[in-house]
Amino acid sequence: MPGPDLVKTGIAGLDEILSGGIPRGNVILLEGAIGCGKTTMGVEFVYRGASQFGEPGVIVLFEVSPDKIIRDAQGFGWDLRELERADRLRIVFTSREVLRQELQQADSVLLEEAARIGARRIFIDGVGRLTGGNSNGTPEARSAFHVFTEGLHRENLTAALAIEASAYHPGEHASLPEESIADTVIRLRMEESQRAISRSVEIVKSRGHDYQMGRHTFRIIDGHGLQVYRRVQAPRPSRDRAAAYDPATRISTGVPGLDGIVNGGYFVGSTTVVAGISGVGKSVMGLQYVAEGARRGERSLMLSLDEQVQQILRNAASIGLDLPREIERGLVRLEYEPPQEIEVDAHFYRIEQMVEGFNPKRVVIDSLSTYGSSLGTQGRVFRDFFHALVALMKEHQIAAVYNHENPEMLGMASMMGDFQMSSLVDNIILMNWAELGDAFRLGMTIAKMRGNPVNRFTHEVEILDGQGMRVLPRVLPVPPEQHPFSSYAGLVSRAPERRKFTGSADEK
Amino acid sequence: MPTSFDDQRQLEETKRLLARAPIIQNACYLDLIVFLHRHPRALLTSEQLAGFVGYNLKETAKALDAFIEAGLLEPTTQQSMHAARMLVLLLDGPQGGGVRALLELASTREGREGILEALRGPGPRPDRPSTGPELRLVNSV
Repeated sequence: MPGPDLVKTGIAGLDEILSGGIPRGNVILLEGAIGCGKTTMGVEFVYRGASQFGEPGVIVLFEVSPDKIIRDAQGFGWDLRELERADRLRIVFTSREVLRQELQQADSVLLEEAARIGARRIFIDGVGRLTGGNSNGTPEARSAFHVFTEGLHRENLTAALAIEASAYHPGEHASLPEESIADTVIRLRMEESQRAISRSVEIVKSRGHDYQMGRHTFRIIDGHGLQVYRRVQAPRPSRDRAAAYDPATRISTGVPGLDGIVNGGYFVGSTTVVAGISGVGKSVMGLQYVAEGARRGERSLMLSLDEQVQQILRNAASIGLDLPREIERGLVRLEYEPPQEIEVDAHFYRIEQMVEGFNPKRVVIDSLSTYGSSLGTQGRVFRDFFHALVALMKEHQIAAVYNHENPEMLGMASMMGDFQMSSLVDNIILMNWAELGDAFRLGMTIAKMRGNPVNRFTHEVEILDGQGMRVLPRVLPVPPEQHPFSSYAGLVSRAPERRKFTGSADEK
Repeated sequence: MPTSFDDQRQLEETKRLLARAPIIQNACYLDLIVFLHRHPRALLTSEQLAGFVGYNLKETAKALDAFIEAGLLEPTTQQSMHAARMLVLLLDGPQGGGVRALLELASTREGREGILEALRGPGPRPDRPSTGPELRLVNSV
């Protein structure tokens, strides 16, 4: 059975969440408060149709003069005048009264004009008062809107109608009479978080096809137009790529001595968290991992939220790594993104683009804790983002290393508590300081290694100028005396004490 | 009144532009063509149009007819059922070049004032009505 005839909006990212587009002939309501981007979305819908899909269109304006729309469109690189000259676009300025009369007449001048250029799309900016007010749910208002949409159906136009909805928070949103009649309702919002504002788009309903629910972030970008970023939690269409799973190949960590204690390296497609307090060498380890990839001719990507690229290059040089050369060779890519006000959907989209465009085998994310402080560890945003990130890396068979600034000297409570990520992670490497005598010395413990035998010895590590990090050999000239569990009390309560034997029968 | 040599030169230049666009007879004609330039495809009733430009209906209708006759507006037939007409500005005709230059000048406040000054001054502009911008009630554009 053939699928529905879908009209592609051409708006970047929107067709993806609409599962390809909107069924032809649908009446689309673009609703939102002032400044949400309704006009830009409507104009882009018509512009993309006329310029990319051979579907001429009409833009109907009531309050904004066409020259301002043309000027603003120019800022996005859309030449509306040229489309008008080529008879692929008509921008009509009219009044609501006239339009209402027009659409109720069989010989509408407006629709004749649309037919003259073979219009397939129409955008009408501000239909609210056309049908009797925004939240006026009277039968008359419904009826007026119904008559109005019938006029559009008659011409088989796919129509986007912008309507102002001043109340848009859940629970406050009074149902608009237009919503029940329209085939597709797209709600635009300005979301407030702390003192930041971000825009979101939600497909409230859309008859005749499937679509991805929830609020997806979007931006209005100079020189481009709208860019919609799929909600990070939304299912990814390419998820079945993970079927190409490689359970055997390991890749070297690049830290001398470490491969030996992680059974030869990390599995491809695995997720490793390196956790430790600030200054233990997590970033150094990440740099060596990246450089090792380059040495082996494998592409590596390092995404930092903590240090800018120049600073990373300087740090790399201090441990003898010539990353500029590897960048030049196209084997290493370093990216910095400031952690303030991260829009999680847009940020994930950017990572997705980098992964798909650069196709790395190794990725280092520095650091998860910065994501945590930016996105907040309460609620689901961080966890869902990390979930999506892990899934993305696995799909692409990337061995990903995530640095995590652990607030604890020892242990993993933060990973299991606030961050709730330990169950998603294949390997956890704990870095910590040990105070011996009057010196702090660096220790490394493999706390978790999924699918591998693990020893939980703490290994000493050193970081040397010009050489980087290495794991020191564990030299034990005399095997330590092993006492059986029965020699201790308080093992489960984690306060073990050697038992004192008295020789009574109960002790046996 | 022009007060300096530069002002005088500007006035002469404006008069030269007006001579290239003889269709612009007075302030109503000027403001109507400016409105139509900003709204080159308008579907409006004459009353609405008069309201937008701020002149009375009779003056506005007269200017509209003059523009249609001069080929500056696409002549759309007004069907009996429709109160509104589609008004499409055409600047490709014989008067288009002169009107374009005038529109460019009128795009600034000073430019528009200069044109109105030139329109008020002595000179052979037939059918000049007595009403001018000083009589405008509304300028809603």
